[in-house]
Amino acid sequence: MSLINLFNGLVYGSLLIVMCSGLALIYGLRRVVNFAHGALYMLGAYLGYSVALHSNFWVALVAVPAIMALLGALLDRYGFRLLQNREPLTVVLVTFGLLLVIEDFVQTVWGKANLSLAAPAMLDFSIDLLGTSLPVYRIGVVVAGLAVAAGLTLWLRLSSVGLAVRAASTDPTTTAMQGVNTDTLSALVVGVGTALAGLAGVVAAPFLSLSPSMSSDVLIDSFVVVVVGGLGSLGGAFVAAMALGLVQAFGAVYLPDTSVLLPFLLMLAILVWKPAGLAGSRT
Amino acid sequence: MTFLQVAVRAIAALALGAAAAAFVGSDAVLSLLAQATIYALFASGVGLLLRQNGSASFGHALFFGGAGYGVAALLKLQAMPAELAILATLAAMTLLAFLVGLVIVRVPGIAFGMVTLAMGQMAFLSTSRARGFLGGADGLSVEWPATVFGMAQSDLFRPATLFMLSWATLVVVLAALALLLASRFGSVTEAVRDNEERARFIGIATLVPRAAIYALSALVSGTGGVLAALNTGFVSPESLHWSLSGMTLMMVIVGGFKTLWGPALGAVVYFLFKDVLGDYATHWMSIFGVVLIAVIVFAPTGLAGLLQRLVRRRAPLAASAAAALEVRDARA
Repeated sequence: MSLINLFNGLVYGSLLIVMCSGLALIYGLRRVVNFAHGALYMLGAYLGYSVALHSNFWVALVAVPAIMALLGALLDRYGFRLLQNREPLTVVLVTFGLLLVIEDFVQTVWGKANLSLAAPAMLDFSIDLLGTSLPVYRIGVVVAGLAVAAGLTLWLRLSSVGLAVRAASTDPTTTAMQGVNTDTLSALVVGVGTALAGLAGVVAAPFLSLSPSMSSDVLIDSFVVVVVGGLGSLGGAFVAAMALGLVQAFGAVYLPDTSVLLPFLLMLAILVWKPAGLAGSRT
Repeated sequence: MTFLQVAVRAIAALALGAAAAAFVGSDAVLSLLAQATIYALFASGVGLLLRQNGSASFGHALFFGGAGYGVAALLKLQAMPAELAILATLAAMTLLAFLVGLVIVRVPGIAFGMVTLAMGQMAFLSTSRARGFLGGADGLSVEWPATVFGMAQSDLFRPATLFMLSWATLVVVLAALALLLASRFGSVTEAVRDNEERARFIGIATLVPRAAIYALSALVSGTGGVLAALNTGFVSPESLHWSLSGMTLMMVIVGGFKTLWGPALGAVVYFLFKDVLGDYATHWMSIFGVVLIAVIVFAPTGLAGLLQRLVRRRAPLAASAAAALEVRDARA
């Protein structure tokens, strides 16, 4: 019984890892909390649904993050870059306005009814592991989450672009003085961040149904993860994402009435102990 | 501002409201005005937090809807008379907000906003699933008794009475806030907002004033929630949803949060707009999103700021005389 809960927790936690690394990257470089991230996830899911309808899931898995990356680069160039000298709250409210626009767009184009996307045929079966039957698609989600976490960490640690990103996250001015084009770098990082949101959407579509409320549901959880992990910290986000996934999975089974409150209580508990999150925050 | 200045403006505003209640014939218009006033109160709470603490709350519907639900629950249990239920709900909510505030105002920057969003949405989710006592997604009707505060139901639930009650509450609350913020408490919170470290260096304890402002903003929004329960006789989880909080934050930004009355102005403008938009209402989210972006980028001080600048330009002599008087009062 517990193994399936543990597994479901890992699955949702992996999804949150993909979502929150995008949020953390965008914050790290632009100091912007992207309130539109959930809406971008939803857009990615719905786009994936349409693309998969006309071709297949795997095409969607590649095409949607690419489209979202382009959107992200445009958002950075014409949004974040132009507002970078304003107060942080200003940009946040702009992303909030963007959230409203994207949500309305999705509802207009795809309607308000719940849609579902079938998992790709290749992964649409279950295997038996330690006495419980686990859907292989969900194992794929966990693999995807771990791959994103590992890939991002390696990219940031080992590549020269990653070095530039880390430098620009710490001190944009000095990094620019060293000859790094921080504007292009920001467009790249925001693009990667929004692509990750879109990827999360496509990956989530087969096992979570597509609905108008999916944007706010995942945004709340992502915010809890990022606040608990510490704004701007990727490692903190990874730990917090897994913790949240497990808390929700076990809570849904053992405390179904109050399971919704568990993330909030977890967040309050961590904040009482460490107001800036587990890894601290960069202001 | 001195007590006299605030009192004069408050009485003038009350007189204006009474005139409107007496001379506006249409019940529909009065209902709309009552609703606008209630949301003005809600927005004033959000605006207070933004103005004094410099923090934006994306989940203040928690207090707006929460107060309504509190009163509805107490009346359903028939635990106490309606007047006491209202006071008890508001008192309990303010206390809870203060305790939660002690924890969350320490969260730096925008993370605070994210926490409030999470809190508000969790209240929404748990309420819409609590099918038993609180009615779940269907909501709960508020069982008001035959007389409330001495007024019979037939008198109380007329549009003119509801409007006058809401308007009077709004005026009194804003007047009280103006007086409170003109005192040392207001200066302390502004010092903490502008530079917390420096405030601590000069000996101000920074946690309690900030939590107190959070609790106060909860109280103001909660009062709006109680009035809403009175106005519609019904509470539903929609009054807790983040979109309501977001809409209200938008009213605050459009109205301008540097002044106390800016958010109220924003609420009134929002309601007028919604009435005018009519047919395009299906895309209201996009429209308000665009308006929010436009205002925040091009006119950050909002409508109140624009109006103030207009007055300053038209009557510079009068404005500078008023400014000089304020400086003299502040020094006295």
